Amino acid sequence: MIEFKNVSHGPLENLSFKIEQNDRAILFGPSGAGKSTMLFLFNRLKDPEQGEIFYKGKPIEEVPITTLRQKVGLLLQSPNLFPGTVLDNLKYGPSLTNSWEPGAEEKLLEYVQLPLDIKDRDVDHLSGGQQQRVSLARTLANEPEVLLLDEPTSALDNKTAEDIEHVLKELIEAHNLTMVMVTHQMDQARRLGTKGLFMHEGRIQETGELPGMLDDPKTKELKEYLQE
Amino acid sequence: MSPEISNQSLLFLIIFVVVPLSLSYFYQLGMSKNIIVSSLRGTIQLFAIGYILTFLFDLNAFIGIPFMITVMIVIASFHARKKGKELPYVLPTIFFGLILVEVSVLSLWLLFDMVEFTPSEVIPMSGMVIGNSMVAMGLALERMKSEFTENSGRLLAALSLGAEPKQASHLIVQRTLNAALIPNVDRIKTIGLVQLPGMMTGLILGGVEPIMAIKYQLVISLSIFSSVSLSAMFVTLVMYKHFFTKNKQLLDSEEALKEYSSRG
Ligand SMILES: Nc1ncnc2c1ncn2[C@@H]1O[C@H](COP(=O)(O)OP(=O)(O)OP(=O)(O)O)[C@@H](O)[C@H]1O
Ligand SMILES: [Mg+2]
Repeated sequence: MIEFKNVSHGPLENLSFKIEQNDRAILFGPSGAGKSTMLFLFNRLKDPEQGEIFYKGKPIEEVPITTLRQKVGLLLQSPNLFPGTVLDNLKYGPSLTNSWEPGAEEKLLEYVQLPLDIKDRDVDHLSGGQQQRVSLARTLANEPEVLLLDEPTSALDNKTAEDIEHVLKELIEAHNLTMVMVTHQMDQARRLGTKGLFMHEGRIQETGELPGMLDDPKTKELKEYLQE
Repeated sequence: MSPEISNQSLLFLIIFVVVPLSLSYFYQLGMSKNIIVSSLRGTIQLFAIGYILTFLFDLNAFIGIPFMITVMIVIASFHARKKGKELPYVLPTIFFGLILVEVSVLSLWLLFDMVEFTPSEVIPMSGMVIGNSMVAMGLALERMKSEFTENSGRLLAALSLGAEPKQASHLIVQRTLNAALIPNVDRIKTIGLVQLPGMMTGLILGGVEPIMAIKYQLVISLSIFSSVSLSAMFVTLVMYKHFFTKNKQLLDSEEALKEYSSRG
């Protein structure tokens, strides 16, 4: 689905790896390892200084940027909602291509388990967990094939985090999504991931199946990381 | 009141300088030198401008007016540029923006016979238009920069959803223009209530009938209002593009990323 060939950018050094269709990849590793930078490269919020990225076998530059960004949806770490109502936010992506269908909010809010009547609320009046759900629904409104998630639950309390995790799991299964998620919570990685990419100082130090690689770390860096 | 102030009377202006000077002296504010130098400098500048204006007013309008307007626009451009030095193409943007504003306003004045094409009318009125536009452009630039930094998360969100830079920065453009226009709306609203506008005061002191002075003031106030709006709009709409790369990426996304990750 997505392939990196010898990609270097900022903190990232010479990365080569593949994310296959329907993978649920977990990117994890110490702070500053370059995880967010990697998600930015997937969504083309940045272009690599060196190397090549392929999307479905095609060089990423050959896909029109805005199309790519809609297909490879990115959920940023903080909700970053636009001022206005919940509905305004949900409509944003599809409206860019005039493909918003009135009533679509019903399905979207159901996905993220929010009540329908929240649609006319001002986003400033929502709780952190609600905002993050709206943000997720906003990304889903574009009907992405790949979902990139940057620490989607790190700013939330445990209960809300679990709810969102649950929502994600159902969504990904129901829609056959390919997922790349950054998380610091290893229990979350076990629950959601099928494949792990352990990043350390800009390199992919170790990859493997989840949860297997967490139970049997090969490198000393991963062992140390897991002990913390 | 006599429209002429004699040179002797002018000498007594020194008293007005002596007040802050003695304040500075007795309270040891250490500003004495600064006060003297500034007052002298201001006086010399004004007299110099007076002589230059006298000279220009005597020139043929078709030489004096374009010359002086060009000088004003060049100086104003360099001044306003300071607010956005790190941005590409600021100087030419401001320069052409000011030309655009001045030419439009001047054309309207002349077309509707509000102002006569003589240096003594066009130059001071243009000076006010250019000066205010310069300030408006500087403010718009500053505001735009801070809006871009503050909203980098939202901009990234919009871009990541597939927005064109133009669509993504819609909110920022809106806020910048809003901020640029509100003080002007307020100024027009309270005009004449708190303080008589400088030009009107000048005309009345110079012996012009109040109603006549008001007409001039209206022309200049509304001209300034519209040129300030036009200036802010022009720089904002031209400059926002330079915050993005040709691949529709936020130019400062290194900074934005840092900002964004430090928040989480
Ligand atoms: N183009 C670049 N050139 C140099 N440094 C960069 C560049 N891009 C990002 N960085 C730096 O690389 C570091 C890692 O960035 P990144 O946010 O991707 O790490 P992360 O793994 O997501 O960390 P965290 O877990 O704290 O979110 C940051 O300090 C960032 O400032
Ligand atoms: Mg990060």
